[in-house]
Amino acid sequence: MGFADHFPALIVVVLFIAAFVSPLLFRWVEKATAPFVIAALVAALIMTTALLVRVQQSGPVLYHMGGWAPPWGIEFKADLLRIFILLIVISVSLWIFIYAVRDLKHELKKEVTGWYYTLFALLVGSMTGMALTNDLFNLFVLMEICAIAACAIISIKEDRECLEASFKYLILSAMGTGCFLLGVAMLYMATGYLNYSLLQLELVETLTLYPRNIFAAAALFIVAFGTKAALFPLHVWLPDAHASAPSPSSAMLSGLVIKIYAFALFLIFYQVFPRELLDLIPLNEIILWLASLGTMFGSIYAMLQTDLKKMLAYSSIGQIGYIFMGIGFDHNLALIGGFYHIMVHAVTKAMLFMVAGVIIYSTGVRQIKDLAGIGRVLPLTMLAFTIGSASMIGIPGTGGLISKWYLSLSALEIGRPFFVLIILASSLLNAIYYMPIVISAFMHQEDFQFKVKPVPFFMQAALVVGMFFIVIFGIFSKPVVTLLEQAVISLF
Amino acid sequence: MDNTTVITVLILIVVLPIIITPIIFYSSRVSEKLRNGLAVVTTAITFLLTLSLYPTIARGGVVQHTLFEILPNLEISLRLDVLSFCLAVLSSFIWFLCTVYSIDYMAKEHATSRYYPVLIFTLGSCQGIFFAGDLFSLFVFFELMSLIAYILVIHEETEEALKAGYKYLVMTIIGGLALFFGIIIIFELGGTVSLGAGEIIQESSLLALLAFICFLIGFGMKAGMFPLHVWLPDAHPVAPSPASALLSGIMLKTGAYGLMRVIFDVFSPELLQSSGWDKILGALAVITILLGSAVALTQIDIKRRLAYSSISQLGYVLLGLSVLNNNAVIGAVFHIFSHAFMKSTLFLAAGSIIYMTGKRRIDEFQGIGRQMPVTMGCFSIAALAMIGIPPLNGFLSKWTLALGCLDAQMPFYVLVLLISSLLNALYYLPIMIPAFFELPGGSNPSGHNNHHDIKLKIKEASPRMLSAMIILALCTFFFGLTPNNIVYALSRLAAAFLLLGGTL
Amino acid sequence: MLSKIIGNYYYMVAIILFVIGMYTMLTHANMIKKVIAMNIMDTSVFLLFVAIGYTHGGQAPIIKEGSEAIYVNPLPGALMLTGIVVAVSVTAYALSLAVKIYRYYGTCDYDEICEIRSQE
Repeated sequence: MGFADHFPALIVVVLFIAAFVSPLLFRWVEKATAPFVIAALVAALIMTTALLVRVQQSGPVLYHMGGWAPPWGIEFKADLLRIFILLIVISVSLWIFIYAVRDLKHELKKEVTGWYYTLFALLVGSMTGMALTNDLFNLFVLMEICAIAACAIISIKEDRECLEASFKYLILSAMGTGCFLLGVAMLYMATGYLNYSLLQLELVETLTLYPRNIFAAAALFIVAFGTKAALFPLHVWLPDAHASAPSPSSAMLSGLVIKIYAFALFLIFYQVFPRELLDLIPLNEIILWLASLGTMFGSIYAMLQTDLKKMLAYSSIGQIGYIFMGIGFDHNLALIGGFYHIMVHAVTKAMLFMVAGVIIYSTGVRQIKDLAGIGRVLPLTMLAFTIGSASMIGIPGTGGLISKWYLSLSALEIGRPFFVLIILASSLLNAIYYMPIVISAFMHQEDFQFKVKPVPFFMQAALVVGMFFIVIFGIFSKPVVTLLEQAVISLF
Repeated sequence: MDNTTVITVLILIVVLPIIITPIIFYSSRVSEKLRNGLAVVTTAITFLLTLSLYPTIARGGVVQHTLFEILPNLEISLRLDVLSFCLAVLSSFIWFLCTVYSIDYMAKEHATSRYYPVLIFTLGSCQGIFFAGDLFSLFVFFELMSLIAYILVIHEETEEALKAGYKYLVMTIIGGLALFFGIIIIFELGGTVSLGAGEIIQESSLLALLAFICFLIGFGMKAGMFPLHVWLPDAHPVAPSPASALLSGIMLKTGAYGLMRVIFDVFSPELLQSSGWDKILGALAVITILLGSAVALTQIDIKRRLAYSSISQLGYVLLGLSVLNNNAVIGAVFHIFSHAFMKSTLFLAAGSIIYMTGKRRIDEFQGIGRQMPVTMGCFSIAALAMIGIPPLNGFLSKWTLALGCLDAQMPFYVLVLLISSLLNALYYLPIMIPAFFELPGGSNPSGHNNHHDIKLKIKEASPRMLSAMIILALCTFFFGLTPNNIVYALSRLAAAFLLLGGTL
Repeated sequence: MLSKIIGNYYYMVAIILFVIGMYTMLTHANMIKKVIAMNIMDTSVFLLFVAIGYTHGGQAPIIKEGSEAIYVNPLPGALMLTGIVVAVSVTAYALSLAVKIYRYYGTCDYDEICEIRSQE
């Protein structure tokens, strides 16, 4: 096997190596730590692109760890959808990291910054692993790494709110993991396999023999991934966790971590469980209705918030509802919409949290009512906020419209225009709480009340990159959509 | 002109104002005159470019060109046909005149460096609406225009302006979402949203009715149709007067234009008539006409009165669109032209009165006609045209509309038109008559001293402001004198084009 | 029916432990109790997994030369070793968070912490 054949595993390994080496590097040569992690992320990105080219040419790539074939060994699979998610995860992490290098200096104590890089690399590595893995137990292990890393990048700030929020997140996440493990036990009991592909073949027959095991497993998986991905009503940990974390962590968590669990749920439901299961219990209906409630309630709660980051966190709950709706419709256009929304929302929400971070860095303001008039002193930042809000509302020219287009189209295709109304109503609710901030930022009569520190170049550059991509996703959406169409077609 | 030139010109018309916007923004730091000059020149160039497209459409030619594919089966395209030409040339003409007017009106105002770029940008997006070749691009430019026009609405930044702007913004977003719903249903049912594809919806179904209602909500909200007109009476008065003229004169018409495209290019007139949906539009149009006129009677602020009058006048256009025979559609298109000319004149005149005297209430307008004769003269010509006195263009459009209603055996509609004309008279004459025939300060017996004082203070508006008004007032005159004028001919061409299904 | 329940008593015990653990984790206010309950919950799943692997009449899974015996499935046990490691690391992290929170608030009880926060 050539070097390039090992890429699926190397992507994860490189990031883990970066995670372990960076505290040492921080002790010796402090300045080299951040470039080292960036180099690791760039290497992972290059490897992912190489994998993408290979998968597009010759189909899905299967990689066996240690050369052991399943069911004895762990398998990594790279097909179009997984590579799509990988690209999103790695590139957005790279972008957030470049922002974080500048922002962390004022949020964290100096000694722990090296550890932050470790946790960051661990988080990215585990997410890439979760996207690539084809084995349920491997998923469990990576999920736990992700959970610990995610909680730790919240609690690393070490003030009261973030410690409590981190503890709450950890406990609820552990509950999710327990349910997940029990579900895996149910499946293992019935089939004896842990590998997705083998399970898929086995489960068709097992469904008739041991239906209740499969039902229990499906239910437990929904609870597990729902808790971790903040599906309504299991979202209660999210607002505190995302609001009290340092801004780069919030950007990572809201932008990527919750999506990767939604993706894992999608993989299990479409590539492990048989389609006949849906005839017996309408699982996708349940997810669909919970997701719709989530979009509405997320926005309603967001309207009531006074703290900027809490509002953005509740907005995330609403937006993740769209992604789950895409999974719940059980139609190829909906999946395209859902995945496109993963991409758009990752970039948009990360950028919005970066805006919040810049505002806090520059002025120390966290309350929404204190943001009046800030548009005149921080014009680029508020322009980024405006474009981000436009994407959340779904204004044409930004990426948010494309995902809503596909979700609505699929709702009509399966003959349920009611869900288009839900999508539109939640867009309106989004507008109701985003627009007043934009308006009062630019149009307020009095000047901004607080002192303003100048914003560093890298942070501004990060915001500009985000704005650029949101508009690109809204206008030049055809390449990505064609890729997704290709990817989704094999599922139906 | 061959096709490629036409397409280049079309792209230039839409893109040039948008690109010049940042240049205008930065030129205001160099000098105000440079900025004003740039703005006027841009509008003039846009107008001339639009005029140059006349030969292409005069023979009934249609140019549809796809720019690129944004999603599979969904293209961004441009379209030039008689209807788009009519509206584009009208809007660029009035924009040019209003920009000239703005130079003097806005000289005293604040934040002009924000006003001019936004004005020019809105011009570009309006032209984009008119030259859009498919519903999706129309929707994109529609939203763009509506959202950027918000900045014009809240220009004064007073408490009142911000509230009116917020109401406008919320209704714009609701309208935009309704449009989105409609477009997606059309895409689902028909597979394409291109306007050059002929009848997209072939048969009536519940989903198609839902789409039609969504379009009515989305475009009707912009056109000030009852019951979605609630933003209009607040938003138009608080904007600066040239912006109000453009809002009332052109931006309302984009809603009517959208409805026309929906009726003629997405659904076909036959489908609407056979399934009875045109009655919905008809009923709403009648209520709009009567409601607008009736409430206008109660308004004291002149700009609010003019705003309510706009609501009812757009109702005429909607009425013509609901009747859907030859004369009615000619009347509707011609009324788009006429109302644009008339209402712009009225708003510009009201603006110059407010600028020179600071008075906005109608009961303070006594004697203004003697001190500002040209302004009030233009106001009166336009007001008489609104009432429908021949030989002005308002009469010609009402006559044609009435003929169309009679052709369709709907004498009730003619009655509605007559009642509305009467109401128009009732709310315009009380402005004009005291302006000319009463003494300033009211008929005050000891008013002689006041008369002299006030006469010394109020002067006529500046030549630039006057020239814009005079040109528009003359348009209402010349384009109404006889039916043998270019605008009427264009309307006839447009109606024939639309009713014959896009070919001539 | 009853014989099925008694015959599969290890599954029942595992599920009962799981529910006890989950319930305690979610409802009890003391943070240390939550961590302990989390351990109970995870342990119950480990027990379930290992119990799944048991084959009747099986021996320990060490291959002796030439014998044809049935072996107990070693795979779940190996998996659960990994699982135990994971559970231990999560427990360690959760306890360290609990210690830090205790240092700030002086109490391990979540209800009291909420009261202190609401008074601020």
